[in-house]
Amino acid sequence: MAEVRLEGVKKCFGAVKVIPKLDLTIADGSFTVLVGPSGCGKSTLLRLIAGLEETTAGQILIDGVDVTDREPSDRSIAMVFQSYALYPHMTVAQNIGFGLRLARKPRSEIRRRVEEAAEILQLQALLDRKPRQLSGGQRQRVAIGRAIVRKPKVFLFDEPLSNLDAALRTQMRVELAELHAKLDATMIYVTHDQVEAMTMADQIVIMDGGIVQQSGSPMTLYDRPANPFVAGFIGSPRMNLLEGTVASDAGAELIGVRPEHFVLSNDAGSWEGRVRYAEHLGSDTVAYVDVEGVGSVTVRVSGEVPVRAGDRVFLTPNQARLHKFAGDRRLAA
Amino acid sequence: MSGFTWRSASRICVLLLVSSLIVIPLAATILGGFKTDGELRAEPFGLPDVWRTEYYAEIFADTRFWRYLWNSLVISLLTVALTLILGSMAAYAFAQAKFFGSRFLFSYLLLGLMFPFAAAIMPLFLTVRDLGILDTPWGVILPQVAFGLAFSIMFFRTFFKQMPPELFEAARVDGCGYIRFYFYFTLPLSTPILATIAVFVFVQSWNNYLLPLIMLNDRAGYTWTLGAMDYRGEYISSWNRTLAFMTMTLTPAVVFFIAAQKYIVAGLTGGSVKG
Ligand SMILES: Nc1ncnc2c1ncn2[C@@H]1O[C@H](COP(=O)(O)OP(=O)(O)O)[C@@H](O)[C@H]1O
Ligand SMILES: [Mg+2]
Repeated sequence: MAEVRLEGVKKCFGAVKVIPKLDLTIADGSFTVLVGPSGCGKSTLLRLIAGLEETTAGQILIDGVDVTDREPSDRSIAMVFQSYALYPHMTVAQNIGFGLRLARKPRSEIRRRVEEAAEILQLQALLDRKPRQLSGGQRQRVAIGRAIVRKPKVFLFDEPLSNLDAALRTQMRVELAELHAKLDATMIYVTHDQVEAMTMADQIVIMDGGIVQQSGSPMTLYDRPANPFVAGFIGSPRMNLLEGTVASDAGAELIGVRPEHFVLSNDAGSWEGRVRYAEHLGSDTVAYVDVEGVGSVTVRVSGEVPVRAGDRVFLTPNQARLHKFAGDRRLAA
Repeated sequence: MSGFTWRSASRICVLLLVSSLIVIPLAATILGGFKTDGELRAEPFGLPDVWRTEYYAEIFADTRFWRYLWNSLVISLLTVALTLILGSMAAYAFAQAKFFGSRFLFSYLLLGLMFPFAAAIMPLFLTVRDLGILDTPWGVILPQVAFGLAFSIMFFRTFFKQMPPELFEAARVDGCGYIRFYFYFTLPLSTPILATIAVFVFVQSWNNYLLPLIMLNDRAGYTWTLGAMDYRGEYISSWNRTLAFMTMTLTPAVVFFIAAQKYIVAGLTGGSVKG
């Protein structure tokens, strides 16, 4: 249970400025997801919070305490790595209990706490195995067990699910959310996958080029993206970002319409176009439409709609859900 | 099992040829100890007509032989221990820590690889004499360690560098610093390379002739390599005794190799960082 605050944090690797200057508050007890394209500095930011990288400038406060110059083990944090980084020569129990052993906790306490952690993660049957005898999902659980046994104030996850297959990933997503509810700790979770961010987070922090583009609840980011980058990043399929006369008619340099905010019709609408390609998913139909004077537009309608490539269709954007941008800014309304 | 193929047949032939290069002289050495001198000269490679065990028994009963063996063992084991400890620690620093001048220092150490041992004999003798360790095991051990460090540091460093960096970071979050990481992780995870270097250094030290010859004058401190020459001096024509002696000195080296071989296994880090 702790708030994490970054004040004017900067990070350079030699001449390369990875994080220019960053202020960010991560609320106590929140599940905050840092999301952004590859190479935008998410891992670097997480490692700064963990203390695995030194800040070039600025302060990091955890639970009101300045930890900028503290060792990772003195920050009340625990980290789960993308590659798990299990200790290959130790059993599952030793892996989980290693931190306590280093802290010279009594044997009986170590055993009790390891068993507690194992119970939460259903690892009891595996405590005597070595990491190489475990499946990917089990290794992931051991890595999480190693984190929770230390009872940290803040959990840090760096793309922990990216090595798992799709089914397991969905399952672990639910388990992590449950774990968050059970432990009631602050969790900071890094991913490049916006679906993961939208499904798990109470707060999303979107980064690009080492700069926080926007932070807020998933629905805030979906409903009111602060700039075209956020608008394009959140939501799948991607929001249509359109320039030219359609934008200037709406009084903006750039307008955004999400694919799900169109009415698709065969006979009437504000824009007319030809279907280039259509995907039929059963639950949804996604059509890629070339609209004269506007460009390529993606449209999603729920349910099955019998559109085929080459069909003439009419599109009507929902004016109430239109996003207007000028330069890098969102225009009010 | 697949049937006969020319490919595997030719492979077997080549392997037989290569292994015979080692096995034939070895067998001749072992068998030679069972023959009389005359028989040895007439038929060096065949089986003995009569298996005479008296030459082996004679050496077995000789206290000098056991002393030579003991001296060699002490020198070799201490050389191995020191090389492993110093080499792995230095390599750990080079692999793990970034410090000013580390590349220069590493290159300087590697220069030692190119230094011919024989060329160093004279200054080495003078240094050892000035240190006052002439005629002690240390006079052999320390130069051997010094010459073994360059290549062992190079191998250790390469091995340590392959360790996933996340392992150290995870341990650091758990409260493990550089020094504890070396003992808790680097050493236990490096047994293959430790065993390999140990065998290499042991065999080199065990068979070293030149260095003991120069550093050791007192017969009581002789290693077996010097002792073997000693036998030849005493029994001018007694090749059978020399061969029996050689055979018996081989045993500790072979035992050491077999013991170390168990640890030379790959894939020790399996399951750490791959999904
Ligand atoms: N140790 C390092 N030395 C130099 N550059 C680095 C280092 N670590 C990361 N970077 C650079 O910082 C940028 C951000 O990296 P990272 O934080 O790993 O991105 P992300 O996790 O968002 O994909 C990248 O351009 C990367 O090349
Ligand atoms: Mg990353």
